[in-house]
Amino acid sequence: MKIILGFVLILFSAIAAWGAQATQLQFALNWKAEPEFGGFYTAKLSGSFQKRNLDVEITEGGAGTPVVQMVANSKVRFGIAAADEVVISQARGTDVVALFAVYQINPQGIMVHPERGFKSLGDVFNSPGTLAIQSGSPHALFLQNQFPGYKVTFVPYAGGIATFLTDPNFSQQCFVTSEPLIARKKGKPAQSFLIADAGFKPYGTVMIARRQYVEKNQKQTRDLIDAVREGWIEYLRAPEPANNAMVKLNPAMDAVSMKEAAEVQKSFILRAGAPAQELGKMTVERWGTLVNQLYDLKLIKTKPVADKLFQNF
Amino acid sequence: MNFKTKISSLLPPLLPLILGMALAEIAVRSGWVPSYLIPAPSEVIRSLIDDRVELAVAAWTTLSSALAGLLLSFTTGTLFAIALSSSDLARRAFYPYAVFFQTVPIISIAPLLVIWFGFGQPTVIASAAIVSVFPIIASTLLGLKSTEPALIDLFALYSASARQMLLMLKIPFALPQIFSGLRIASGLAVVGAIVGEFIGGGGLGSVVDSARTQQRIDRVFAAVLISALLGAVLVGAVNLISALTLGSWHTSERKAS
Repeated sequence: MKIILGFVLILFSAIAAWGAQATQLQFALNWKAEPEFGGFYTAKLSGSFQKRNLDVEITEGGAGTPVVQMVANSKVRFGIAAADEVVISQARGTDVVALFAVYQINPQGIMVHPERGFKSLGDVFNSPGTLAIQSGSPHALFLQNQFPGYKVTFVPYAGGIATFLTDPNFSQQCFVTSEPLIARKKGKPAQSFLIADAGFKPYGTVMIARRQYVEKNQKQTRDLIDAVREGWIEYLRAPEPANNAMVKLNPAMDAVSMKEAAEVQKSFILRAGAPAQELGKMTVERWGTLVNQLYDLKLIKTKPVADKLFQNF
Repeated sequence: MNFKTKISSLLPPLLPLILGMALAEIAVRSGWVPSYLIPAPSEVIRSLIDDRVELAVAAWTTLSSALAGLLLSFTTGTLFAIALSSSDLARRAFYPYAVFFQTVPIISIAPLLVIWFGFGQPTVIASAAIVSVFPIIASTLLGLKSTEPALIDLFALYSASARQMLLMLKIPFALPQIFSGLRIASGLAVVGAIVGEFIGGGGLGSVVDSARTQQRIDRVFAAVLISALLGAVLVGAVNLISALTLGSWHTSERKAS
């Protein structure tokens, strides 16, 4: 009898241990650890993933990391992309969908030297000088279309602000929540203009996965997004723990800049007075507008159906 | 060479290409490989046709930068190798630094090149020159050190000056190695130019960067195909110059009679 009881106990504990085994997930970022990812790191540090039995490995990216293609090819389950990348990817035959949008207002902007006296994006484009912008990117093409008689010379965008610090006629693309703060820290005040103000407003820093995977793993995905939302609520309240962890991963951005960036980006993530449960949610209208804009820019040949581009959780 | 011989000499390199393209086409069309990972060759050809003007302009920009870089690396590399060959002490002192050019990860210093030389062609030429200079130094040095001792003795016997020895004996004797280094360097110059263009702008590097951003993998492959052709053109040009220079007297370029 004792032997049978012992055997049953062992069996139960084995089943319990197997059940408790956390699901391992890889989550690929498209840039270095910075406040734009603060909520994700908070979800990991504060145990939001863990309490849902998820073991999420967050990997940093860099310039040109092909996160969308990696997700589409199932090399990683979840990743970060720009909303326009999701549309282009689906138009090219993938089933990548957006699940959570960090930025409701896209912080992509153009950063200039204030002494040049520019008052608008139009001034930047219609004045001689150099503008570093990602060649062929939807925001670059959109702006070139908006200001057809531009006089500025385009050069490749390689990330960082080294040239901006040394060349007074140099302007560059940026996240208004990040690079201008770093430039100021290095003694070069920067003025920035939001591209969204010119009419190109894709969601920014969007969490993506394959639709096929999401449909097969609805509960796991819901748990993941719940944990992410929890992480972002906490990061908006208290960014220090995640900032401290991110400074170690990305020493190029110091703790003070991280703190400032976390503060500045709040209004881009959640509009004043909106309930926290609205964090990350997307609308079909916004996706539809983006599809039309990318089609007009000839970046896609077919229009993906807007409500198949995302899923809110 | 008659038509039949021409076909039979072209067939061996063409066959694997045709077979590979046919397999890729079948794999993509049948859905085994999604087209956003590997484009069907027909899509690449379509891109070559549709974007021909942009690709041609970009190819010309890259070729001119690669050529300028190669010329720069050839001039500096050859002079450097001559200087090193003239003295054992100089060779021991400076050759290890020449190795630096072989090992330098160009992609990591490319952003610095922009700060030093500015955006545009100067950065691209510098990148092409840095990447292609080492094979020229190494091969030229090897060639200059490989002169037959008996011939050196003969020149010494006739009281030839160091300059005569260099220009009339050592350099002609080193030409096969110099051309060998140039062949390697010419392919590398194209690679260096494209890497430089990623940061400095213009040319095929810019086309690849832009196409990658737009997830246009067919266009990336079209640009890569053209860059391979540019490399082949440069190597072919070096082969031609080598044959014209050495054909009449050196065994490496003499045709079997």
